[in-house]
Amino acid sequence: METYKLTVNGQPREVTVDPGTPLLWVLREELKMTGTKYGCGIGACGACTVHLDGVATRSCVVPVSLVGNRPIVTIEAMAEDPVGRVVQDVWVSHDVVQCGYCHSGQIMAAVALLKSMPKPTDTDIEESMGGNLCRCGTYVRIREAIKAASLQLR
Amino acid sequence: MAGKEETMQANNIMLRAILFILIVCVWSASTLTGAASRDEPQKTNAGGSIRAEGLAAWQQVYAVLTHPRCINCHTATDYPQQGDDRHRHFANVVRGPTGEGVPGQQCVTCHQEANADSTGVPGAHDWHLAPLSMQWQDPNDKILSSTDVCKAVTDRSKNNNLDSAGLLKHHSEEPLVLWAFRPGRGIDGSMRTLPPLTHEQFVAATRTWAEAGTPCPQNP
Repeated sequence: METYKLTVNGQPREVTVDPGTPLLWVLREELKMTGTKYGCGIGACGACTVHLDGVATRSCVVPVSLVGNRPIVTIEAMAEDPVGRVVQDVWVSHDVVQCGYCHSGQIMAAVALLKSMPKPTDTDIEESMGGNLCRCGTYVRIREAIKAASLQLR
Repeated sequence: MAGKEETMQANNIMLRAILFILIVCVWSASTLTGAASRDEPQKTNAGGSIRAEGLAAWQQVYAVLTHPRCINCHTATDYPQQGDDRHRHFANVVRGPTGEGVPGQQCVTCHQEANADSTGVPGAHDWHLAPLSMQWQDPNDKILSSTDVCKAVTDRSKNNNLDSAGLLKHHSEEPLVLWAFRPGRGIDGSMRTLPPLTHEQFVAATRTWAEAGTPCPQNP
């Protein structure tokens, strides 16, 4: 077991875990932040996406030992984030969510996209969001919501 | 009578011993001769010898470059490959404009600064795809010939303007090259397969090839 000092949503946190523990389980089990979801556990579905130093990151495959001093931002902080707030609003106005399980990750990926690329094309959206799976098939609404958020953010 | 039999037995043993020694001598001589002929420069002059050694070293380098640990990120396609069967990378990963993926799916979305053996994700500094100019496969994922890979690797308009010293440095120090020789564990916990040379042997082969003037084989 090792002790790690992390910065999560701007707050200093300390955890003592096995170095190989995925960040996802540190967030969910140690810090009780359950907004980030477990989907596949191998980085293939995107449900566990968080931002690590601003980069959309699959927390299920990143051991806490490799996080270092990079700030971690999770879905719990999106309401306070200027882009995150807009994305959450369009998610509601476009009625994007069906079951909702994957949408923590979908929103984190969408925010990363819009921060990096404020005017994404359909191809940009499809490529950037292509690793975030939705069993309910809400992809069309996700794309429209991102385009709407892009317009609002200009 | 008994004494005569003993003498005959002793002579028989002596003859067998002499025969054995003769066989060993003949075998040793033929082996040494064979080794000498393998090591003997294939040449008519010193320049030819150096070129032949360079070409032989290049074939060793080529064997490493075309191993899945290397060639999976030297594709001609819009995506990386993974695994020893060089299948398309899962999760709809794409190359992106700089070979580092796209905003929601960068290479570093999963690949960190070091191997994550607990989760089976390989990692090294600045994980990314090689540029398309350094593709070592055709668009159908068929590995290019030794000649074509050699030409690409030595073409300074394609290889980030590396001369032979630069290529040697790249093979010696580049973190992603080093990773190929320490690729860590896969998702099933087993060690990833290694290129056919150690890193030290790979660098030595590259040095021999570089010192010979980075010769490329002719098309067959």
